[in-house]
Amino acid sequence: MAKELMKGNVAVAEAALRGGMDFFAGYPITPSTETLEYLSYRMDEIGRKGRFIQAENEISAINMVMGASSAGARAMTASSGPGISLKAEGFSYAARYSLPYVCLNVQRWGNGLGSLDSGQADYFRDVKGSGQGDYHRIVYAPADIQELIDSAYEAWEAAERYRIGVCIFSEAFLGQMMEAVEMPDFKKRKEPLDWGIDGTGTKGLKYLPGSGPHISAFNAEKYAKVEAEMQRWESIQTEDAEYIFVAFGLPSRVCKDAVTRLRAEGDKAGIIRPKLIWPYPWKAFEEVKAVNPHVKGFISIETNDLGQMVEDVALAAKRAGLDVPVYCYAHGPGTPGVRRVMEKYQAVTSGEEKERF
Amino acid sequence: MTITKTKPAKTGYHNLCPGCGHGVIVRLIAEVFEELGVEKEAVVLGVGCSCTATPAFGAMDRFQAAHGRGTATATAIKRCRPEITLFTYQGDGDAYVIGLSETVNAAYRNENFVAVVINNNNFGMTGGQMSWTTMPGQVTETSIHGRDCGYTGEPFHLPEIISEIRGFHPAYVARGAVYDVKSINQTKKMLKNAFQAQLNNEGFSLVEILSPCPTNWHMTPLQCKEHIEDEIVKEYPLGELKVRKGEEG
Amino acid sequence: MKEIIFAGFGGQGVLTGGLIIADMAAKKGLSTVWMPAYGPTMRGGKANCVVKFGETAEEKVGSPIMEEADILVAMNVPSLDYLAFCKPGVKVFANAHAVPADYNYPEGTEVTAIDVAELAAQAENIKGQNLVMVGAVVKKCGLFTEAYAEESMCKFFAGKGKGRFNDANVAALRLGFAAVS
Repeated sequence: MAKELMKGNVAVAEAALRGGMDFFAGYPITPSTETLEYLSYRMDEIGRKGRFIQAENEISAINMVMGASSAGARAMTASSGPGISLKAEGFSYAARYSLPYVCLNVQRWGNGLGSLDSGQADYFRDVKGSGQGDYHRIVYAPADIQELIDSAYEAWEAAERYRIGVCIFSEAFLGQMMEAVEMPDFKKRKEPLDWGIDGTGTKGLKYLPGSGPHISAFNAEKYAKVEAEMQRWESIQTEDAEYIFVAFGLPSRVCKDAVTRLRAEGDKAGIIRPKLIWPYPWKAFEEVKAVNPHVKGFISIETNDLGQMVEDVALAAKRAGLDVPVYCYAHGPGTPGVRRVMEKYQAVTSGEEKERF
Repeated sequence: MTITKTKPAKTGYHNLCPGCGHGVIVRLIAEVFEELGVEKEAVVLGVGCSCTATPAFGAMDRFQAAHGRGTATATAIKRCRPEITLFTYQGDGDAYVIGLSETVNAAYRNENFVAVVINNNNFGMTGGQMSWTTMPGQVTETSIHGRDCGYTGEPFHLPEIISEIRGFHPAYVARGAVYDVKSINQTKKMLKNAFQAQLNNEGFSLVEILSPCPTNWHMTPLQCKEHIEDEIVKEYPLGELKVRKGEEG
Repeated sequence: MKEIIFAGFGGQGVLTGGLIIADMAAKKGLSTVWMPAYGPTMRGGKANCVVKFGETAEEKVGSPIMEEADILVAMNVPSLDYLAFCKPGVKVFANAHAVPADYNYPEGTEVTAIDVAELAAQAENIKGQNLVMVGAVVKKCGLFTEAYAEESMCKFFAGKGKGRFNDANVAALRLGFAAVS
């Protein structure tokens, strides 16, 4: 089957359109700008002119997305690092109104202005909520461009099913590189929404108004449901592994190669790759607990400075009843090479590397 | 003559302070909708006393936007549902201070909706702090010795800015008030013009409405009326700043 | 798995050169990654890309970054810094116009020096120096047949609205084939 080479930032935009996206507002920022550029003409080409807005700033862009969503559109925005921070207020408002939307974060590494390097430094911000209040978003963590496409294509149903925001957690490298991919066909929403602003005043946003315990109960139930239904992961050779890498996105591909090489050298390595990082796939750790009595520890491999996901790894291990050490290799910007990851594995097995939890 | 008390079908009730202008303005908008035969409408509300006014919009579709972002939210609603007659309803702090960028940019793009801005010279709901529209020397909670324009800048005039600056082509811009029968009737005509412009796809309209704030001005409603008449309209003259095409002269 | 680094200065067409090879692999249905140098490494006029593809339909590309390249195309001397990311016995295709013949390569390196400027001039396609390299790499390493490479490259340029240059581009590609025959 012949495939087409597509750049991550372009492929995700086209896939979102094919998934039914009919409103986009964004602001230029490296390394996500190609998404904005592509949609600026592509939406016009497919008869969605006027549904693309180059907004005056990131904050306006997310508020436009909320407006479009409230009016029944499948609305999306995209940005990177500091741009997403500016949108965080909007994520919280959207959570309050139960407005579905998709936000692409093509992550760049670093604090403040950051840098143009690739990285996964936004884990805490995007996975733990990011704006004021108490909410989560579904966070897809694709590892290749085909997964990026599939995420942007199916995100709409997930967003509308739970009336929740969706974050697609891309990385600078993933946005800038090209891979051979297949693009799905255009689809439409199957059932009309039973809520939304249409000018009649009969449906409205249908969110739970007011404040107090009924909102708390609603939130607890909503997010528990998503957590139960949306855990997705891939486990490779975890059933007999002694040490298990935990990694998502591009570093997970490096870890997979490392597992192959380590196994060839007689090391019993395995990997858990979360495909979504919220909800976090703690069921993957329960599976390990059920079948693998020999596991000696988990090693979180991340491209940030301090290690962020490692905290969720430790919590998932604890939840599964696995009383084993959890290690972390925070690589900083870029993506570690296979040799570097193998060195870290060996540092763990030799006792040289100290556990984080 | 018998006067029968009527209420436009789509309005509700509100909890605003006695003597506040919001109630009158909401009613004017509802009356204009009835007179224009508008059937599908929606309001994007700001944060401030416009929140308190929310129930007054009764049966209308509405979106409570983030503080200052109403015109960005409205931009998208109108793009997605052009058949809806849409307006933003914000105070001066919301539309001109925290939301200046959004308001100016919606006007700049000439989005086809009506921005209604209630100018009461202060941040009302937070308890009466200085706004960009606060009068020189006016005492507020953040200008307790009176607004010192040497440090704060002078009273702010967005209607004049978007009417006069090159590159802005709004459909209709006007400033009204609701302190007496004459000003109320004049303001209703302005609102009607603005919504007619939207129905004709002429683009962005801004209607700023001077409104009394007895609570934070520390005045009786009657003193408020006199204050607007004697002082405020000198700083913020009433009238049409940009008339609709074909209606010039 | 094949891993190819295509490196040089900006303007030497190294990103496009790598992309053409990646496109040949993708059109065959092979798992393919093209990763351009990105961020700080782009500064100072240096440019490079990595192309990786599976050699069978089943083989998937894992790590998308420079790891252990089989082939290094060096359009200038700084490109040879990437030897640090190459396998022992790497095949280096050096731009003879820019890289000295007596460069001290690691032992076992298989060097093919090609005067791409001269050959591109012969093809009357001075901007086609990268295509000469593509031709040499494809032929010498047996990546694809000459006919497939030509057809694929022509489709690639046609898809970018540059099909009118295909004759000149094919001429450059063929001189690359010939240079290593």
